[in-house]
Amino acid sequence: MKNTDAGAFEKTKTLLELASLENLQSLALIGMSKNAGKTTCLNHIISAWRASGQTRPLALTSIGRDGESKDIISGRAKPRIYIPAGTLIASAKGALEQSDALLEILELSNVRTALGEVVICRALSDGYVELAGPGSAEEIGLIADLVRAHEPDCLFIIDGALSRRSQAGCGVSEAVILAINADTSSNPEVLAEKAKFALEVLQTPTVDQLDINLILNACQSDPQNRMVTVTAKDQTISLNIPSLMGYGKEIAHNLNAETRLLYLRGAITDQVVNELLKESNFSKLTLVADDGSRIFLTPETVRKLRLRDINLAVISPIDVRMVCLNPSCSSGQCFDSQLFLEKMKQNLTIPVLDLGPALM
Amino acid sequence: MKTSVVISQELLNQVGLPEVLQACHCRTPQGKRLKNLTRFYTRATQDELLEELSAISYLAEMVKQKQPQVLEAQTQLSRLRELRGTFSRLEKGSLLDDTELFELKSALTIFYRLSRLKKLLSAAGLGFQVTKDASALLDPAGTGNPAFHIYSDYSPELGLIRERKKELEREISLAKGYQRKTLLTKRALVTAEEDKLEEQIRRQLGKKLVEWLPQMRHNAEICAILDFRLAKADLAVRWSGTQPAVVAGTEPAKLDNCRHPLIADMLEKQGLHFTPISITLQQGSTVLSGANMGGKSVALKSVFLALLMTQLGYFPICERLQTPLYDFMAFESSQDGDLDRGLSSFGFECVQIRNHHRRSQTQNGLILMDEPCRGTNPAEATAIVQALCRAYGTSSSTFLVATHYNVIPAEGIRFYQVRGIRPEALDELSDEQISTELDKYEDLTRVRKIQSLMDYRLDEIEGAHQIPSGAIKIAELLGVDEELLREMTAAWQEDQWLNSD
Repeated sequence: MKNTDAGAFEKTKTLLELASLENLQSLALIGMSKNAGKTTCLNHIISAWRASGQTRPLALTSIGRDGESKDIISGRAKPRIYIPAGTLIASAKGALEQSDALLEILELSNVRTALGEVVICRALSDGYVELAGPGSAEEIGLIADLVRAHEPDCLFIIDGALSRRSQAGCGVSEAVILAINADTSSNPEVLAEKAKFALEVLQTPTVDQLDINLILNACQSDPQNRMVTVTAKDQTISLNIPSLMGYGKEIAHNLNAETRLLYLRGAITDQVVNELLKESNFSKLTLVADDGSRIFLTPETVRKLRLRDINLAVISPIDVRMVCLNPSCSSGQCFDSQLFLEKMKQNLTIPVLDLGPALM
Repeated sequence: MKTSVVISQELLNQVGLPEVLQACHCRTPQGKRLKNLTRFYTRATQDELLEELSAISYLAEMVKQKQPQVLEAQTQLSRLRELRGTFSRLEKGSLLDDTELFELKSALTIFYRLSRLKKLLSAAGLGFQVTKDASALLDPAGTGNPAFHIYSDYSPELGLIRERKKELEREISLAKGYQRKTLLTKRALVTAEEDKLEEQIRRQLGKKLVEWLPQMRHNAEICAILDFRLAKADLAVRWSGTQPAVVAGTEPAKLDNCRHPLIADMLEKQGLHFTPISITLQQGSTVLSGANMGGKSVALKSVFLALLMTQLGYFPICERLQTPLYDFMAFESSQDGDLDRGLSSFGFECVQIRNHHRRSQTQNGLILMDEPCRGTNPAEATAIVQALCRAYGTSSSTFLVATHYNVIPAEGIRFYQVRGIRPEALDELSDEQISTELDKYEDLTRVRKIQSLMDYRLDEIEGAHQIPSGAIKIAELLGVDEELLREMTAAWQEDQWLNSD
């Protein structure tokens, strides 16, 4: 990897501008795979934020656990998160014990995690912190409200954990940065293709506002509803099922020639779609997800959907501002950053950066 | 409550107690725990009940007037967290962490803010103990800032360490590469010193705070009582409850215009209204009879709920209520499912009849029975009900029974009857055509129509009560086939003729 301190500084300086972070209220960092470089990217944002003299504070949390010094699965060293004084943190009590910044406790959130209750703190000194936030989008929303009660003007950043792409969107963040490393593919061309596909899925277009209203109204009758269909005459049918998987027949039973929209709440996976594809009713419609981070489909499955005349759409759009490239893989092997960047830039329409190693 | 109130869970659900408890909205974990204890007041704890009811009455007045102190108390109470774990760790001498110290600091702030609400506390009959010095321990600079960390004010040495650390952090922010790594290592060493000193301070804080533990526990308990009393006052205002008068054990229970809040609510949603019930229950037996669909079961449930709420320290939903305090309360209904109990329905009924009667020999109980011996042969059932009324008639317990069986007047037996439907109203309904098609919706409408004509009020009757009739008329109104109706009427007339001798 080609990098110098000066080079890294330049990159972080342009980071805020390229991703237009300065006026954002909230940002989610999501990774295409484990160790994709989310924490490195976060450290660069923190550093750039400080270096550019921003007056708004940062507020950090994560979905699940992140920021610990070792990967809890592989045991390999991971970058830690180093924050400046004034940053707000929403992290579980157990994770805070591993942090060495002087933290002032502002509020206890009543949101519980495996590492204890999520605590809202303000850093009174610079230092390392470990982030372990709530596990669901709903709880992230609660945490965001609590944080904003203390710092209404902060940039609220949600760091993802492992490759958990889900829940990063769904209206909890205004914009997204996608981190990608060579675990996805060590071949620059293939990696660029996969990144392009991932971005297309993440940025799946939204359905019409009137259709969103129809779907949300149908969901309101029972919050447990996981399926809503909308016909050409705007009639809706909703279905309460425990999960999307294993209920293909029940879902398809509610489809007919009149159905133009099928909304599914939850992760739309290959398995869910393949179950539906066995049913002949599942054709000529728009399949609607909550947002692009809930769609976990391979290019092959998307192709099968197109053959059935099925389009994909979402309720909440995701605005991906940038791709952060980490041209190495989990085993530690590094590849030619320039070559990867070149291929990625050819394929993608949004900025791609290799920010270099973590600033620790 | 478990030993003093004998009722199946199913019937208790029908009576509506779980929904009453749910509607009584406590804001603190301490208040919720107190509510869930469902304390049953008896004669032995009468003074405490009177204190409770009096406090609710004063608080209800403040709730009604929407006094700002009520809102402030509710806001403060909703911030109070469960403190048992932290208190217990403090008592054991465990090292408290920053979140636990923050929790204590917040609780002490809540105690202080509540203690300033003099008018509200006077109404609630409660007082907080002063914990100002304990608060000062967790706010050494006296800034009043609700946040918490181990302040440098605790130790000049800690202040110096943090100064050194801050300088290093300034250098780190400007440094790169190897120089940055070296500075980070230096910082780690200073941080270790800071951690060590912080731990000493936490230990000292724990030792000082434990001296305030009795006062903090007392204040947390006061919060629980205040929360529960405010919640009951709020419920009393929402449901138009009344402060009950507690009278001597020999005095009757008198309920004036008693409403069942949940059934009334359900009826209102159907566009119907609940007829309030008035009844006097003397020691001895009271027999309640009346036509089918006359609301006897609803009357029993309303009476039981009102008297139970009173003895649990709530305001009953009546215009006026006076009652002695019973040693125990029992409610049995033959409509109650009993398959889970492993006994036949009559077997179970007999066991309960035996138990309540035995207990009433030594205690003053309130025993309600809804159509006992319903599935027994009428001759023996009549004898059993008659015997029960006579036995309780001369006891110091209060027995209220809803029955279709004939009870002959005797010492200590009083009679009440549901007014029922006026015959003219029934005739008007008879003129309406009923479709011969089976239509669930039409049946429901018809049943509701009959219900709407029913006068649910209770009248006390001197002497013997009349065996209610009208079941065949209701069958006719609900469209039973003519031939079958003729059979019913003939059988009824034959029975009347045989019994007239």
